[in-house]
Amino acid sequence: MSAIEVSNLQRDFQTTIGVFKRKKKTVKAVQGISFEIADGELFGLLGPNGAGKTTSVKMLTTLLIPTGGTARILGLDIIKDAEQVRPRIGFIFGGERGLYWRLNATDNLRYFASLYYIDPAVSKKRIPYLLEMVGLKDRADEKVEGYSRGMRQRLHIARALLHDPEVLFLDEPTMGLDPVGARELRQTVRNLQSEKKTILLTTHYMFEADALCQRVAVINKGEIVAMDTPTKIKDTVNDLSVVEIEVFGIPPETFEKIKTLPVVESASVEDRDQRQLLLVHTSKSAEAIPLLIAELQGLKMGKVTAREPTLEDAYVRLVGGE
Amino acid sequence: MSLLKSVKQNLRVIFMAFEIEFRQSFTDAFVLFGIIVQPMIVAFMALWMLRDQVADYAIFVVVGSGMTGLWTTLLFQGGNSITGERWTGTLEPLSCAPAPLRAVVSGKLLASISQSLLSIAFCYTFISLMMGLPVSIAKPWLFAGSILLTVVAFIAFGLIIGSLFILNPDVQRFQNGLEFVVYIFSGFLFPIALLPMWTTPLSYILTPYWAARALHAASSGSGSNGEIYFCWAMLIAFSVVYAIASKFLFKSILRKAREDATLNMQ
Repeated sequence: MSAIEVSNLQRDFQTTIGVFKRKKKTVKAVQGISFEIADGELFGLLGPNGAGKTTSVKMLTTLLIPTGGTARILGLDIIKDAEQVRPRIGFIFGGERGLYWRLNATDNLRYFASLYYIDPAVSKKRIPYLLEMVGLKDRADEKVEGYSRGMRQRLHIARALLHDPEVLFLDEPTMGLDPVGARELRQTVRNLQSEKKTILLTTHYMFEADALCQRVAVINKGEIVAMDTPTKIKDTVNDLSVVEIEVFGIPPETFEKIKTLPVVESASVEDRDQRQLLLVHTSKSAEAIPLLIAELQGLKMGKVTAREPTLEDAYVRLVGGE
Repeated sequence: MSLLKSVKQNLRVIFMAFEIEFRQSFTDAFVLFGIIVQPMIVAFMALWMLRDQVADYAIFVVVGSGMTGLWTTLLFQGGNSITGERWTGTLEPLSCAPAPLRAVVSGKLLASISQSLLSIAFCYTFISLMMGLPVSIAKPWLFAGSILLTVVAFIAFGLIIGSLFILNPDVQRFQNGLEFVVYIFSGFLFPIALLPMWTTPLSYILTPYWAARALHAASSGSGSNGEIYFCWAMLIAFSVVYAIASKFLFKSILRKAREDATLNMQ
């Protein structure tokens, strides 16, 4: 039996437009996604902002009721059996919310332990163990308001593990963390996986998914557009090369023109301090480089490189260059 | 799970929520002002104005203003605490925990009511001693019993109000309106006999009305023991009705909040 079974799951949101003549508008956040996660698997749900990742996790954690489809966690229906599902899952949502800032870490965990009906004798031992595991033992008596973002995120993990859940939902756990904090958190996730916990991780950091997940699903505009191992997803862009050009102040019209070149499959620009990095996906890098340089004529340029595609490049292709 | 074990676990949740709410309030300067400084000023002004009045009139005002303070605390601190949980992102983990949210809200309400009661008792005792104006209670034991039942009744009533705050954050807009409706229809500051007859049934279904009547009668000695016991019976009956109603309200309102995605505020 799979730990998580999702079949044609859908979620719509109603919103209104206008002030006087109000019109109802339906936003389809999740449009019939289906996947299964095996017991003990670390599965990644990748997608850009607004793709439907958090909405999917909220439905699976019983916080939102789907408008269509079904989902089962450990064989239990997320709507009908919500009360039985809750003690067996743990979840954290990215960001700093969801904790009591005027309390210290120990009191936060004591409170949540009582909400999970953990015997005080058990929580007395489990709380120091978890605080040590997430590296907060020495600051356990300080108020959360004085914690860094990374420390709060680690406290979230300790909270989610209080009742030793079989299934964990980690929604963008490294969002906004500094590189060291993010690396430590990824190590914590690896440790959890070695304890055979089933984990659903959402992220838009491709290297994170590549490093941690056994399988990934790419979600875009509420639909799953690819699902496989990171290696196999990368294989889908084997025919591509990625040309990277450092450029200073690329005008929008030049970028738009580059996107229309026949040799260019997709293109994006990343800001890097004073400069930009133009990323072009092409199957003909030898032909593309001179054409690109010609288009950027007159602009100050830095390094020009061509490299093998990564999971991120596969993702960019799948989500249509967004 | 046995019933006894379930009761024990939920009582632990109530007391934990009580402790957490109490401790959080005492680190909030605004709340400290509201429960210590402001009641002290109100108590001083009330007793100073009443220093030449007969003693039972003074106790009527003390109990009346105490009830208004209690209701305001319940409505604002209790209601806002749900909104606060929504803003801080903790309403989601609370709603998704195995413990019923009603137990958490009960603990929070108990904390708000206890703070309010302690503050009223402390302020009026302190100021009356300072001014040399004793505020005597005619039937202390019946008064103590009335206080206990008032706390239970207010928690039951607060659960009904609290469930509305879970439904939608916009309920906050009606807080001020609710505040005065209950002041007036519960007879906190003047008898409901002064109101039109058709409003009387509305007063009868409000537990604060029976609480105010029992407390006024026990404190001033203006009512018989039988009348106080009758008020107690009504308090118990309506508290049970409210508690049962809140169970269904919470269930349906939490489902609605999960349908409408209003448990969180991004």
